[in-house]
Amino acid sequence: MSADVELSDVSVTFGSFYAAKNVNVKVNGGEFFSFLGPSGCGKTTLLRAISGFQEPSEGKVLIDNKDMSGIGPNKRPTALIFQNLALFPLMSVSENIAFSLEVRGVSKEERKKRADELLELIALEGQGDKKVHQLSGGQKQRVAIARALAVEPKVLLLDEPLSALDLKLRQRMRTELREIQKRVNITFIYITHDQGEALTMSDRIAVMNEGELEQIGKCDEVYNNPLTPFVATFVGENNPLYGKVTGIEGDKAKIETADGQYLATMNESKKLNIGDESIAFVRPESLFIPRDGDNFDNKIDVNIESFEFEGNLKNFYASLKSGAKIKFSVPNAIDTSSITSGSSIVLGFESSKSIILPKASLAID
Amino acid sequence: MMGIYIFIFFAYLFGPLIIMSITAFNSAEFPSITPWECFSFRWFNEGKIAYDGQHLAGLLSDWRLHDGIISSLIIGAGVVTLSVPIGMAAAIVLTQVRSQLRDIYYSISIMPVLFPGVIIGISTVVLWDRIAGLGGEGFIADIGRNGIFLTILAQTCFISTYCFLIFVARLQRFDQTQEEAALDLGASQTQVFFKILVPYLSPAIASAAVIAFLFSFENYNTTVFSILSDQTLTTVIASKVRLGISPALSALALTIIALTIIAAVTYEVLRRRAEKRYAESQEKFVKEKAADNRINKKYKAGFKIPKGITAILLIVVFATYGATQIVKNDLYGQSCIDAADKEKKSKFLEQLQTLESNELTDEELSGGSLGGNQDYGDIFGDPSLFQDFGGFD
Repeated sequence: MSADVELSDVSVTFGSFYAAKNVNVKVNGGEFFSFLGPSGCGKTTLLRAISGFQEPSEGKVLIDNKDMSGIGPNKRPTALIFQNLALFPLMSVSENIAFSLEVRGVSKEERKKRADELLELIALEGQGDKKVHQLSGGQKQRVAIARALAVEPKVLLLDEPLSALDLKLRQRMRTELREIQKRVNITFIYITHDQGEALTMSDRIAVMNEGELEQIGKCDEVYNNPLTPFVATFVGENNPLYGKVTGIEGDKAKIETADGQYLATMNESKKLNIGDESIAFVRPESLFIPRDGDNFDNKIDVNIESFEFEGNLKNFYASLKSGAKIKFSVPNAIDTSSITSGSSIVLGFESSKSIILPKASLAID
Repeated sequence: MMGIYIFIFFAYLFGPLIIMSITAFNSAEFPSITPWECFSFRWFNEGKIAYDGQHLAGLLSDWRLHDGIISSLIIGAGVVTLSVPIGMAAAIVLTQVRSQLRDIYYSISIMPVLFPGVIIGISTVVLWDRIAGLGGEGFIADIGRNGIFLTILAQTCFISTYCFLIFVARLQRFDQTQEEAALDLGASQTQVFFKILVPYLSPAIASAAVIAFLFSFENYNTTVFSILSDQTLTTVIASKVRLGISPALSALALTIIALTIIAAVTYEVLRRRAEKRYAESQEKFVKEKAADNRINKKYKAGFKIPKGITAILLIVVFATYGATQIVKNDLYGQSCIDAADKEKKSKFLEQLQTLESNELTDEELSGGSLGGNQDYGDIFGDPSLFQDFGGFD
């Protein structure tokens, strides 16, 4: 049912512009795989290369170990869910779902039977005669999925299909998508710029920037052990502390910044030497306000500038002596009435929760 | 103020049409309201034999008009079948062309609208005359000199451009990911065209067909050249006008207006019915979705006076006044027509007699007091004529 998808050295160029450059990735059959990256990073181009709307300029797309070059989108075992869904407005819901069967010459009764089955799968029983415009946003979403599944594709490609929905619906659709994927057990390749979506749904994610793959890995791996400053700041939030390496102890490195010395963990594949320009990253949720008895590896003096209430979290924006900005989050349950704008406090973080990487550009946001 | 402006505007638009429609019911030989002769339907029927023996054909008995209408209908159908596909194909090509070529292509495509129709007509005839001349006496020669065929080609030249513009407007709003979605779902290009594009374009196809037909039906300046020895409705009317205008043309105009109004009203009624059905389905949908208390069920439309009431009243008043005048003065029916004819005949005979009695003598013909040589023959003999002339330098 499901198939492997392999991109081998795939490059897509438009003139002299590389939309995707030397992309190598192997998506396993039955996996929920996400391409995550800012808009314009080439992830949609890759998806179009897999679905057959875009021939790669170099390299090969293999589905089920078969080379797909020269095979049109209507002949590939993939189905694509478009960002705007692209439901056919002149057809009813059932006609939409059964479109792929109709063009294959499947009989009317068979089509109806299959459409009803799929309507049941997406929990829209008995609504097949409605027109598309009579459905709500989430229902349209599910119809688009059902329409794509009707072909019984081996790979389902999703191009930011949730971006038009409101927050609550988006959260519910995440769970639903995941469940549908488990039920039909086919390969899902998902494209998104929303790291929350990618992290909650995927088995593995690939982070892309400017046409190139930055990192491929399991969600927690990518989040906790980013390989590049771009990944560190694009997936989740991170506070960068710029400086020079002054000492190395095992897998830890000491970094000297304008605001003091910190100890941070090195990545196995990104070893540093003394004197290297580098960045230590610490996430807002890893910064703590020390209580009695707490003993952190690193301490950092900050001056609170502003405060924002997010609901489950309270976010504080503070500045260091050098003027660098830093953000930290405190669960709403913790009382922070003593911390006000202008007050100076000391924050602590563990070296194991801080990553140090060679200096490179961050994700701009 | 607004009302007065609207009244003047509509009077300007429809005044001539209303006057013309009324003249269709006057039995006089020349379309007129005053003097009113008799109320009659004869211009819609067989027409009349005038007092001087001239036959003035009515709408039903005018075979040249009938032939013209039939060829106009044939040409209209031909133009529709050619221009709609051509316009559609050209518009679809426009969506596929990228880069600067697009502007050039667009300019070339709309150029036929900018050419004078006369030139399109003449050039079609010239071209096909050459083509017909090439093939000897065969089929090519026949159709190259067939007026109806040439007119279809000549009109299609520029009418397909109007169709093109209609399709371009519709295609601009087409979401091309739908085509991609269909392809992705396994449809072939042909299936995408017939199952996605054509249904989407069907309103444009309908309006392009209607507009192509109307443009073809009323075209004169291209047709008059390309029709050769045949006749269409417009060329028949034009040749009639040259001989003197007859109330039969008013009758024809009124018939066309009536058909147009019936078509427009039918379309509007159907559209409103569809709209109502859609509104009902939407209401049902909202009721399913929203809680009861959010829908105000008590709303009920009260009786409202239509906005055009003044215009309707005005028309009714004038029509009643006219009708009573006609009935009161016995200006209708066969007896009135007979009486009018008799009177005119006697007047005609009287005039003939006067003419005969005034017959000119030979001497008067050779040089009357006004037309002879005496006054103007000697114009160059006038000594003061070249007085101020300075000569050629």
